[in-house]
Amino acid sequence: MNDSMVIVRFDGNGRAYRPGETLAGEYAFDSTVSEDVAAVEVSVMWYSEGKGDEDLAVHEFSRQDVEEGEWFDTRRPGRFSTVLPNSPLSYEGVIVKLRWCVRVRVFLRSGGELVGEREFRLGTVPPAGRGGNSIV
Amino acid sequence: MALVVPQWRVNHEFVEHRCIVLDKRIGELNDEDGTLYRPEIEIEYHIGDETFRIWTYDIHQAYSSGREAKQAILDQFLIDPKNPIEYVCWYDPAEPGTAVLVRNYMWWVWLVLIVPSTFILIGLGGVIYRVLHWGKSTERRAVMQQRVKQRDPFVAGGAASRKFPNVPDDSDITNSPGTTLRYRLPASASAGWQLFGLLMASIVWNGIVSVFVVLAVRGHAKGEPDWFLTLFMIPFVGIGIFLIVLFIRQLLVATGIGPTLVEISDHPLQPGDSCRLFVSQSGRLSINSLRVCLVCEEQATYRQGTNTRTETREVYRQELACHEGFEVHRGLPFETECELEMPAVAMHSFKSDHNGIGWHVVVEGDVAGWPDYRRAFPLIVYPGSGRNMQ
Repeated sequence: MNDSMVIVRFDGNGRAYRPGETLAGEYAFDSTVSEDVAAVEVSVMWYSEGKGDEDLAVHEFSRQDVEEGEWFDTRRPGRFSTVLPNSPLSYEGVIVKLRWCVRVRVFLRSGGELVGEREFRLGTVPPAGRGGNSIV
Repeated sequence: MALVVPQWRVNHEFVEHRCIVLDKRIGELNDEDGTLYRPEIEIEYHIGDETFRIWTYDIHQAYSSGREAKQAILDQFLIDPKNPIEYVCWYDPAEPGTAVLVRNYMWWVWLVLIVPSTFILIGLGGVIYRVLHWGKSTERRAVMQQRVKQRDPFVAGGAASRKFPNVPDDSDITNSPGTTLRYRLPASASAGWQLFGLLMASIVWNGIVSVFVVLAVRGHAKGEPDWFLTLFMIPFVGIGIFLIVLFIRQLLVATGIGPTLVEISDHPLQPGDSCRLFVSQSGRLSINSLRVCLVCEEQATYRQGTNTRTETREVYRQELACHEGFEVHRGLPFETECELEMPAVAMHSFKSDHNGIGWHVVVEGDVAGWPDYRRAFPLIVYPGSGRNMQ
């Protein structure tokens, strides 16, 4: 697995979005990717970090597979677009953190896998310890 | 299987027949634990032209303790050579030389089968899960699990859950009307369950520890003290005493301090909202201080070895009201109202499998002559402008 060969970009170089806003962008393959692509999965998802075991949920998922008649040109970027949900909002807590990202997973015919990921913020909740009245 | 299959065959495949009893005796087996017994009855039956004469009783022919019970079985069968009495027996059609006089099910045989079967089923389930998810990415597996959950009417929430994923449902809170304000908030954990849990923990822990304590005390009484055992048991006895003290403390709080009621004028809340809170404390108490606070807690569940642990961390606290030095009289509860104002940029309530963020109204009391107490009442906070989106 190589994390650097798939690049994810958001339209307008956005980093923070509001619930209900449209997140759109594209993913592109590094010029060194010459192998035939077998399938591409694009996930708009959140995952947890912190002390607890990881939870994740996928808001939008699409899979294109050559076995289902899809064809990929690694020289041209692929696009994605989704309307973001109302929750959960991005959160930087003390033992619980919630992060949103677009993850693109590319499956090669050789059996290899490439992953590209780009984080974004959903909502404007400040980190725990800031923005409240009295923080523990 | 060697126990289950013969039992099943006796009950489903053996053929009913007639026999006469020729002789009977109690079979004995001398074991390390003493003598074990089984009933043995000699029967004679005819199938076609062939006559069978065998010693039998049931299919297992197992020995066990209790001679009297076996003698009682033998007494049910009478031997009368002049006027033989016919008894029902069952023989194996595949092997007519095998027959039994009883064909009851023995429950423990099935229990023996259940234990390995459970492990086999768990293993099989794991293999099927692996095969179904083979070659699938984490995200694809998550999508499949989400779809299963959405189809399950007991797991999937209502309309609010679909509009606000991972925000807990507030129906448990809004289904209880208040007497002073609109809703009465439920307590977050039943004091009864907490007490029961502590009682069970005390009984189990102290039950085990007491066995070793008795051994140690006997040694001292006999003048042969086992000092290693005695010293080794000290921390365990300490934990046992701590559990008992904790249980008594909780019992005192649950029974001695009257119920705390919290009512709210509006629910669910969202950041920046304000509403009224009504707090009522019953009992017969001399209260040093009673605090009402708005608290946000993060909760993380994680596996550590074979244990599952849950850690809670308070990340926000706002004091809403504080009353000091007053008396509560029986039948005349202390009542107060205060304003609750949510922070303008608060995180909403959140719940997933291993992580959670919860808001509570917490009532903390310092009562003269009683242990301090803390009672929490959960609130659901939607993301900003969430209520308008319903």
